[in-house]
Amino acid sequence: MTPLATRDLLGTACRLGAALTLTAAIALLGVLLVQALGVVDVGFLAGAPSRFASRAGVGPAIAGTLWLAVLTAALSFPVGIGAAVYFEEYAPRNRLAGLAGSALANMAGVPPVVFGVAGLALFVRGMGLGPTILAAGLTLAMLALPTVLVTSRTALREVPRGVRDAASALGATRWQVIRRQVLPAAGPGIVTGLTLALTRTVGAAAPLLVLGAPAFVTHAPRTPGDILTALPTQAFTWSTRTEADFAALAAGTAVTLLVLLLTVNLGALVLRRRLR
Amino acid sequence: MSDALHDPGTGTPGPPATPVLSATGLTVRFGGRPALADVSLDFPRGRIVALIGPSGSGKTTLLRALCRMNELIPAAVTTGSVRFEGAELYAPEVDPAEVRRRIGVVLRESALFPGSIFHNVAFGPRASGFAGDLHALAEEVLAAVGLWAEVGGDLDLPASALSAGQRRRLCIARTLAVRPRVLLLDEPASALDPVAAARIESLIHSLAGDVAVVVATSDLRLAARVSDVTAHLDRGELVECGPTGTVFTNPRSKRTEAYLTGRIP
Ligand SMILES: Nc1ncnc2c1ncn2[C@@H]1O[C@H](COP(=O)(O)OP(=O)(O)OP(=O)(O)O)[C@@H](O)[C@H]1O
Ligand SMILES: [Mg+2]
Repeated sequence: MTPLATRDLLGTACRLGAALTLTAAIALLGVLLVQALGVVDVGFLAGAPSRFASRAGVGPAIAGTLWLAVLTAALSFPVGIGAAVYFEEYAPRNRLAGLAGSALANMAGVPPVVFGVAGLALFVRGMGLGPTILAAGLTLAMLALPTVLVTSRTALREVPRGVRDAASALGATRWQVIRRQVLPAAGPGIVTGLTLALTRTVGAAAPLLVLGAPAFVTHAPRTPGDILTALPTQAFTWSTRTEADFAALAAGTAVTLLVLLLTVNLGALVLRRRLR
Repeated sequence: MSDALHDPGTGTPGPPATPVLSATGLTVRFGGRPALADVSLDFPRGRIVALIGPSGSGKTTLLRALCRMNELIPAAVTTGSVRFEGAELYAPEVDPAEVRRRIGVVLRESALFPGSIFHNVAFGPRASGFAGDLHALAEEVLAAVGLWAEVGGDLDLPASALSAGQRRRLCIARTLAVRPRVLLLDEPASALDPVAAARIESLIHSLAGDVAVVVATSDLRLAARVSDVTAHLDRGELVECGPTGTVFTNPRSKRTEAYLTGRIP
């Protein structure tokens, strides 16, 4: 084969790959939407789980997931950004700091279920919190933390050296340089990372199932001490039922989760625009 | 904040003969061979000193050492002494941020901050707790560098909208806004067209007197035209220092003569 023919073949293969990816995405969404179409209505969004598929709803699960999102963000964002600032701006450039930094970065690749097992031992049993919103929020915050750290560090590192030098040269203290120039310049990048961390974490079912999320919660959580319920675990529970009606409920729950995550992404988009 | 540096505005100014800034035995290492080796040099009050020398001779390193900017580079080790208005800048109780407010530097690679002209000018004064009228201050320093009229008094103009020469002058203006006593300029006219370079040159002339100016440059013509005193650095050593006219027409050192005439030693 001539090199030119090889290139043509590769080009065709790439185009095929793109087409397949698009088809897969459309098929996935299409199947979900078709199934969910008859299910998602006001009654479904506001109602509680029920033994009767026609009456079942995801109200408590939505409330649970919103709680988890807030707790995860409140716990992991400040800690993760703070740690990123420490590693990028303050930590001595020695082997120990480098090792600690990359160990934490590798935590971002640890499967969510592992965090679930740790959270079960640490929060549910160790601290005696039981399978509550708080225990789940703490677990998800641990899950989000490495991603927040890694993405924030990258964003901080991308701030040009000249900006730091100029700010220092104008008599700003180290903290003023960070607070007034480096963090604002890194802002859009940090927000992107926070969004990624939050959406990945809040959508995970595995850690919540390991924590012992009950299959049947009919009351929306009002405080973090209430029993755990969330959209991903609700979708899982209904998907284990064999009746077609419940499969549709699972699809409806999945679509609800997707819309929530999409809203978070849109909010992040607006925030990034503002920060720029 | 440190009291080790007395405020030149309220404190007693030294007799005119004493230099405003004075380096003694200044040595800077970045690991290996010193980038600056045992340099002793006085900077007279209100005068313009040019630092000349080939690339890598330590001009920038000396500028950074004079305002304690080298310590932002983890590998840098500085020894020796720099005295400003009689106070030792490298004394342990001296706050480097305070030093940089008295001795302002415009580095070649220093970037403008994203945002408006005002944002760039206001940053330094705000960082040092300036309580006066920031707009009046901005107008004053922008006028001093000839930018006020050029931007039509529009402080909200994004800094990125300025030309290269205007940006260079904005960098100088925001440094002036901190009201330094000494202004260090690294390659102030490099990579500018002749007109923009000439504006910078006349700006340097107009600033001297109020502040002492140190210009590090590899542009010998700029050094000859703009400075009162010229110091020649080579491989981190101070080769020769004297009145600019003397250094350029009748250098004492063979190395300086060779450098000025473009002969490679
Ligand atoms: N951050 C740094 N890390 C390591 N070495 C450095 C650093 N900065 C400068 N040096 C070294 O110090 C020496 C002097 O450099 P310096 O930048 O002061 O020279 P210069 O006279 O300003 O040159 P130029 O005309 O190219 O700007 C060079 O050998 C350079 O490699
Ligand atoms: Mg230089």
